[in-house]
Amino acid sequence: MTRILLSDKLDNCVARWRKAGLTVIGPVKKETFSSYAAVEKAADVKKETFSSYAAVEKAADFNFEMVMPDRSIKELFFPQTEPMMGYTIKKQDIATEDFKPPAEKRVIFGARPCDASGLAIDDPLFGWDYKDNFWFQRRDETVIVTIACTKSDDFCMCTSLKLAPDSTKGSDVLLRPLQNGKGWQVEELTDRGREAFKEIADQLQDGSEPAAPTAVVAEKFDLDACISWLKNPENFDSTFWKEISMRCIGCGSCTFLCPTCHCFDFQDEGDTYSGIRRKNWDSCSFSLFTMHTSGHNPRSTQSARWRQRIMHKFNYFPGKFTANSCSGCGRCSRQCPVDMGITETLQEISTLKP
Amino acid sequence: MTTQEQYKKRVKELLSNGTVKMVIGYKAGTTADRRRPLFVRTPEEADKLVLDSACIANLSGYLVTEGLLSDEKRVGIFLRPDGIRSINILAAEAQLNADQIVILGFDIVGQEVTALSGEKATDFSELIGSIKEKAPEAPQNPQLEQLEKMTPKERFAFWQAEFSRCIKCYACRQACPMCYCRRCIVDSNQPQWVNTSSHTLGNFEWNIVRAFHLSGRCVGCGNCDRACPVNIPLRLINAKMAQEVLGAFDHFSGMSETQEPVLASFKKDDSETFIL
Amino acid sequence: MQGAHNNIYKPAIMKIVDRHDEAPGVRTLKLEFQNPADHELFKQNYRTGMFGLYGVYGEGESTFCVASPETRKDYIECTFRQSGRVTSALASADIGDLITYRGPYGNRFPIENFYGKNLIFVSGGIALPPTRSVIWSCLDQREKFGKITIVYGARTVADLVYKHELEEWEKRDDVDLVLTVDPGGESPDWKHRVGFVPTVLEQAAPSPDNCIAVICGPPIMIKFTLISLKKLGFEESNVYTTLENRMKCGVGKCGRCNVGSVYVCKEGPVFTAAEVSKMPQADL
Repeated sequence: MTRILLSDKLDNCVARWRKAGLTVIGPVKKETFSSYAAVEKAADVKKETFSSYAAVEKAADFNFEMVMPDRSIKELFFPQTEPMMGYTIKKQDIATEDFKPPAEKRVIFGARPCDASGLAIDDPLFGWDYKDNFWFQRRDETVIVTIACTKSDDFCMCTSLKLAPDSTKGSDVLLRPLQNGKGWQVEELTDRGREAFKEIADQLQDGSEPAAPTAVVAEKFDLDACISWLKNPENFDSTFWKEISMRCIGCGSCTFLCPTCHCFDFQDEGDTYSGIRRKNWDSCSFSLFTMHTSGHNPRSTQSARWRQRIMHKFNYFPGKFTANSCSGCGRCSRQCPVDMGITETLQEISTLKP
Repeated sequence: MTTQEQYKKRVKELLSNGTVKMVIGYKAGTTADRRRPLFVRTPEEADKLVLDSACIANLSGYLVTEGLLSDEKRVGIFLRPDGIRSINILAAEAQLNADQIVILGFDIVGQEVTALSGEKATDFSELIGSIKEKAPEAPQNPQLEQLEKMTPKERFAFWQAEFSRCIKCYACRQACPMCYCRRCIVDSNQPQWVNTSSHTLGNFEWNIVRAFHLSGRCVGCGNCDRACPVNIPLRLINAKMAQEVLGAFDHFSGMSETQEPVLASFKKDDSETFIL
Repeated sequence: MQGAHNNIYKPAIMKIVDRHDEAPGVRTLKLEFQNPADHELFKQNYRTGMFGLYGVYGEGESTFCVASPETRKDYIECTFRQSGRVTSALASADIGDLITYRGPYGNRFPIENFYGKNLIFVSGGIALPPTRSVIWSCLDQREKFGKITIVYGARTVADLVYKHELEEWEKRDDVDLVLTVDPGGESPDWKHRVGFVPTVLEQAAPSPDNCIAVICGPPIMIKFTLISLKKLGFEESNVYTTLENRMKCGVGKCGRCNVGSVYVCKEGPVFTAAEVSKMPQADL
C-alpha cells in the first residue's frame, strides 16, 4: 500500500498551494519562431520549442513528457543576474540599499532527480565558511517535488555519476509515475516535503497500483577510473587536454545550462552617482575569465580552460565537498554546438592508463 | 564514387604530399543526425571523415584560432558556399591569408552532397556571384515575411519577447566565424559599453549590437542560431539586416577578398551626406 | 566569519585619511572604518597575510593585501599600482573620499612559528607591501625574533616603494637592510647596491640555520630567488611566499582564483614554497 496522487487531482493541488500563498513551478514547454530555413511554404516551417522550469497556474500548463527542460533548475536559486545592493554616492556619504531575493514561497512540482541533486551538490559550496544568503533564502523557501524518470535520451548519464533516474538526493518528495499513467506514487522524504503535502493531504489516496519501471540509463564511463587519472598530478600536463578540446569554441553554453556550475562575476551598473551592484553568471570557458590586469592569463588556451572545467568538477570540488560537481543530466552534451560535453571527455579518460 | 569517398581520397593526397598540415572536416557525432568538427593531421585519420547532408555547420571560424595559420603552412577545410564567403570576408578584413586555405567545397541539396570544383577562394567567385543574383528571388523566408507585415510596435514586442530568454552566454558570438575580436565589446570594462546582465536592456544591447556589427558581414550560415541554448531565432534578425544591406547598398557579403566592408567604407555617391 | 551584514558580498565603507605617492603610478592609501561594527570585526579577524577587496561603487573591486600589520589595527593601509579600471578610480580618489573594503579574507603568516628564529625578507618592486606587513608585525615585537635581514630591490630608484620606511629601517641597528636597483637603474648619488635581487641575495648569503625566508615578488623574481635560496641551503618548507590571482568574490564561490585544487582566496594567499611547488605550475 502506498500513497497515490492521481493526475486528475493535480489541478486541485495547484489551486490549493496557490491559495496557501505558494508559487507553483514546473517543467513547461513553449513554442517559438523557428530558425531561418529556406522553405517553400509556411507549412514547412518547423516550430521551435524551448523549455524551462516556470510558474504554472493549472495542471495543463505542466509538460511531464519531456526528458528534462532545456534550462536547469539552478536559475531558480542562482539567477543569471542578481541585484545585491544599490548605492548612491553623495558628497560625504554613500547610501546603500540592501537587496534580497523576493520573499516567495515556492513548490517546484516535477523537477528531475538530476536537477534536484545539482542543488544538493552546490549547497556546501554556497555555505563554505561564508553563507551566501541569496542562495539559501531561496533554498529555504522552496519545496522540491521530483518525478522519477521513466525515459531518458542518448545524453543522460546520471548512472555514470552513481546517481539514478529515481535518486532522492536534493528532493523533498519523490513521485514515481504509475504504470497505468494515471498518476504517481508519493514518497515524502523531508519535513519540508511533508509540510507541503499536508496542504493537499485530502487529494491523496492509498493504493497498490504499481509504479512504471524507471528509465534504463546505461553507464557511459567508469567514473572511478576517471577520477584516479585526474588525481594523478602528472596528467595535468598531458597532451590529452589539447586533443580532446580542439573543437571547443569556448561558448559557455555548457556551463550556463549546467545545474551545478556556479561561477559568477560582479558588475556595477549605473552612472557616476548611483547604481546597482549585481552578481552575474560567468564561465570558466570564457577566454578572459582569469585574465589579470597585467595582461597575464594563467589559462590562456581553450585546452587549459577545458582542463580546469573537468578537473574542478571531478577532482577539486569532490576534494573539498565530497560530491562530484556533476549530476549527470547531460545538458552540456545535449546542447553543445560542436557535440562535445563531459561524457566524451570522461569516456576517453577512462580508456587512458592511470 | 560518392562525394565523401572522392574527398577522403583527396584529403589523403593533400596530407601525404605535404600540401597541407591539417584538414578541418566533419566526423560522426553522438547521435545519427549530429556531426562533429574533425581535425585531420595524418592520412590514416582521414578515414574518420564524414561528408553528408548533416554536415551543415560553418567551420571557417576555426581558421582564425590564435596561432593556427602563423606558421604559414596551408590548411584544408570543408566548406559550403556560405563558408567560402566567410573566407572571403576574413581575408578582406585581414584576418587570414586566403592563399593558405585549400577549400574542399561542397553543397547540400536535399539529401545529396555535391562537390564544388575549385580549391582557391577565387575559384568560386562565379558561384557566389550567381547566389547573389538569385538572392532577392530566393524562396522568401515565411517568418521574414511575417516580420515585414508587423507594425514597428509589434516587431519590437516580438523581439523583446525573444530576447527575454537570452542568458548572455555569448555562444552566438563564439560560434560565428565573423566574430573574431580578441576582446569583444562586451568584454571591455573601460568603459563597460554593454552590460553583462540579462535583463531587458542588457539583452537588447547585446543582441542588437551584434546584429549591427554583422551587417553586411553575415553569410547566413546559421551557426549562431544552432548554438543558442535558448532557441532565439538569431538567424532571422541577421537575415533581416542582410536584406536591408543588399537593398540599400547592393552589398552581398563575401563576394571576394577585396570587397570593402559595408560598415567601413564611405563613397561620395552614398545616399547619406555624412558617414553617420 | 560573516560580516556585520547578512549579505557577505556587501563591503564596508572606508574613508581615505591619508594618501602617499610611493613611485610613479604607485599609491598608498590609509583608510579608516566608518562603521564601528565593521571595525570590530576587522580587529577580531585580521592577521598579517590576509587580503582585502578594495573598491569604488560604480567601478568594481580589486584585490590587494593589507599592507599594515596585525599589530596596528586602527586603520588599514593598502598600496597599489594604477593599472586598470578600479585602480584608476582608487588613484583619483582624494583624502576625505569614501571607498569600499571587503575582508579580511584568506590565511595568515604563522608568525608565532617564527619566534626565536632569524628572518630574511626578500622582495622586489611593488611586492614590498605584503612583505612590509610582516616586517612591521615583527619589528613591533622585535625582541621575539633573532637577526632580521631585508633584501629589497626595484628596477630603478624611483620605483622603490615606502622610501621613508626604507630610510627608517636603514637607521635601525637591529635590522640589516640591503637595497639594490637593477643594473642601469641607479641614480648618480645612489649609495647602495646595483644588481638583480637574487644575485644580491646570494652576495648577502644569509645562513639557512634557524632561519625563515619570506619572499614576495613578481613570478620571475620568485623563481630565481628560490633557486638562490636553495643554493644557500634553505628548505622549501622554511620559505614563505604569497600568491595572487584574479579574484571577484574572495570567499571561494566564484570559481576564479584556484591554482589546481588550491583556492588562493581561501587556502592562501600565504603559502610555503613547498606547497607552491606541489601546485600544477601551468595553472599559475
